[in-house]
Amino acid sequence: MNRRTRRRIRNGSILAFVAVVLVLVERLLEISHWRTAYLTGWLLFGMIVVLALYNFRKQLAIVPLGTSAGWLQFHIYAGLLTGVVFLLHVALRIPNGTFECVLAAAYAATFLSGIVGLAMSRSFPGRLTARGEEVLFERIPVYLKQLRDHVEKVVFKCAEASDTTAISDLYVNDLKSFFERPRNSFWHLVHSSRPRKRLLLAIQSQQRFLADDERDAMETITRQVQRKDDLDYQYALQGALKLWLFVHIPLTYGLLVLSIFHGLAACAYGGIS
Amino acid sequence: MSTSVSIPRPRRWDIPFCQESESPREMLDEDVDRVLGTAPFSELDADGFKKSLPLREILKNDTRILSLEQGDIVVRLGDWGNTAFFILNGSVRVEIEPPDAGLTATLPGRTPPQKKSLFQTVAQLWQNHREPEFRASPGMQAGEPAAGDAVGTRSDGAATRLFVQDVPAVLNEYRTVTIDEGHWFGELAALGRTPRTATVFADGPCELLEIRWQGLRDIMRHDRDGRLRAWIEGVFRERALSAFLRTETFFEDVSDDAMAELVEQVEFETYGNYDSPQPFRELAKQGAELHLENEPFVVRQGDYPNGVILIRSGLARLSEKHHHGHRTIGYLMPGQSYGISEISEGYQKQEAVPFRYSLTAIGYLNVVVVPTPVVEKLALGKQTSLPAAASPEPATPKSQESSDIDGFLLDFMVNGRFIQGTATMVIDLDRCTRCDDCVRACAVAHDNNPRFIRHGPIHGQYMFANACLHCSDPVCMIECPTGSIHRNERDGLIVITDQTCIGCAQCANNCPYDAIRMVEIRDDDGKFIVDEKNNRPLTQATKCDLCQQIPGGPACQRACPHDALQRIDMRMLETVEAALQP
Repeated sequence: MNRRTRRRIRNGSILAFVAVVLVLVERLLEISHWRTAYLTGWLLFGMIVVLALYNFRKQLAIVPLGTSAGWLQFHIYAGLLTGVVFLLHVALRIPNGTFECVLAAAYAATFLSGIVGLAMSRSFPGRLTARGEEVLFERIPVYLKQLRDHVEKVVFKCAEASDTTAISDLYVNDLKSFFERPRNSFWHLVHSSRPRKRLLLAIQSQQRFLADDERDAMETITRQVQRKDDLDYQYALQGALKLWLFVHIPLTYGLLVLSIFHGLAACAYGGIS
Repeated sequence: MSTSVSIPRPRRWDIPFCQESESPREMLDEDVDRVLGTAPFSELDADGFKKSLPLREILKNDTRILSLEQGDIVVRLGDWGNTAFFILNGSVRVEIEPPDAGLTATLPGRTPPQKKSLFQTVAQLWQNHREPEFRASPGMQAGEPAAGDAVGTRSDGAATRLFVQDVPAVLNEYRTVTIDEGHWFGELAALGRTPRTATVFADGPCELLEIRWQGLRDIMRHDRDGRLRAWIEGVFRERALSAFLRTETFFEDVSDDAMAELVEQVEFETYGNYDSPQPFRELAKQGAELHLENEPFVVRQGDYPNGVILIRSGLARLSEKHHHGHRTIGYLMPGQSYGISEISEGYQKQEAVPFRYSLTAIGYLNVVVVPTPVVEKLALGKQTSLPAAASPEPATPKSQESSDIDGFLLDFMVNGRFIQGTATMVIDLDRCTRCDDCVRACAVAHDNNPRFIRHGPIHGQYMFANACLHCSDPVCMIECPTGSIHRNERDGLIVITDQTCIGCAQCANNCPYDAIRMVEIRDDDGKFIVDEKNNRPLTQATKCDLCQQIPGGPACQRACPHDALQRIDMRMLETVEAALQP
């Protein structure tokens, strides 16, 4: 058993234990006619505030506040625990008011975006390592332009040297839009090579109409198509890894604002006990 | 509006050694004349030196004279030395007790690491400069040493000196030896890029000539008859060899008489050029298949073991035959050894047991060979049972002959010399989300200037990023003319002093890992600082300093949310195995 599996089992066990204790305490208090909605509500709010602090910890990278990895582990398991607290808070019912529905939806979206982000953070790095060159995300547009310029040079050269338009037709009809900007992000995210195969098939189908020197040019273009596809793959996955935080963090802040209004309303109209 | 500021291009000796921080006094022409009239300097042929590097200027700019009082501490065991000392008059005492029981352990007087306080660290968030690579006007930074209980401090001009408060008590309690006028000390640590091996303090009033290792090296290079070099080899055999041999478990209990015999019989072997970084860079460019072909064999697999090989400095590769080639199975660093298990086993069986592996030199290597008959007589002959190393399977205590690391990765690490690193940055790309939190944290820690890029050689899932490895044998230091890149005395980290960096780029060119970057520097207004002669921007070398001033350790490692980035001490294979464990 490796180090990370051991850590997963340890943290998972702690989470399960705390969740069971929370459920038992809530049931016990409920039987004792306590208004547990207040207790679970404040607990949930406090947990969300603490979870949101992780983003500030990241901004204070040089301050000795523990490692970011340690914070993330806490963030993950405490975040999962909020799911239990949330279900206890809503008593496993769908909220009945519009505001409560919006609030519940905001929580669900934040929670799910966290889960999706975690899944991506764990699965995408290995996929990125396995395919194409290691490139810095910010440099990808530069490489894409270099590729496009190279391919256009080959196509123009062919057009000038040959009396047929097979390669330039192929470029205009099938490849130009492909080389223009990052493409097929969705297919890359779901790990499908369908668009790549389709393009290679289109190229393959033209091979029998080409002269020998045009075949050499087509081989060059094929290699660039594969490189472009690899770069698109890196762009899609690295982009998603960066983008999801722009969903998760604003949702968290939105949730916090809505929670404050919800808490104020609950205290104002329901009394504090 | 002008976008640049003109200043003269910095050069070697703009800031002579005697004007560096805590220097007590200037090196005057009379002082240089006096030194030149003293042997061995009086015996050097001044005409043999280059016109651009005359002996007189070396002495004027790379040396300084220290006037010490009784008990003043000159060097301390464990400090990283960048200078050597020559006793002009008087004498010094060298503590020869083992470090765990000696003076240094109880009376260290070491300067504590000057970390920033929590407030200073937080304040960096708004105090960092907006413009990249800001440099303040050149100025000296003097640190205030803190004293231990039995170590006092006193002022000596600009310097603050540590001294042993009760010398007679120390002399009674600890074993010391005296080094008299006309002798050198500290040269082995300075030239060997190693820590000091003993604490030295003044035995009464004395004057020492302290010389930067760059100056000593230049003198040795132009010392035509090689007397100084021969003298230093002799000194090593006389003073340090027995201590070095006793670091081996199988020689630690050898009597003083037997050790004297041992010292006489050992042989030195050197491969490659110690003063040149070129072998590293040339080897790094070669393909993996060429590495072993170009590495000289120290011993070959299957040969009769003619002695125990002790690594004094440099790197060595252990490999074994595999089909038609060799595969790496380990590596040896200074202080490690090879051959004792074969000799022990042969001694036990009373038959020759050949070397199981080949040992080759990676770039520069200096070894001490203890002949087999001597080992059998002095180390094995007196043992009732064989040392642990003698059993066929386990590796010797100080060598690494087996590993759980993937063989290809081991090959990659050895071929790339990443095993030199005491803090190699290894990124597990199967965990890294490419978020660059590490780079951002590094930038915040260094006045908004990242000191590495997330880029570098990749093997499988591991990237060995272009960040300073803080090598055990830093070849970047070899050609630095001013000593700007040096080992931090406290912890041996390799750091660059901006005040003395002249932007010659020797360190950046010599670094085999592309971990040192030359950057164009600016003033507080963001204007480029340019050479007043040709208006070209002035550059300075920058590199990772392992966040030596930030509490909590390297910011890059602490900022990684996924445990993907680690700073690994590669010198021991066990550490590497533990760190790379999933």
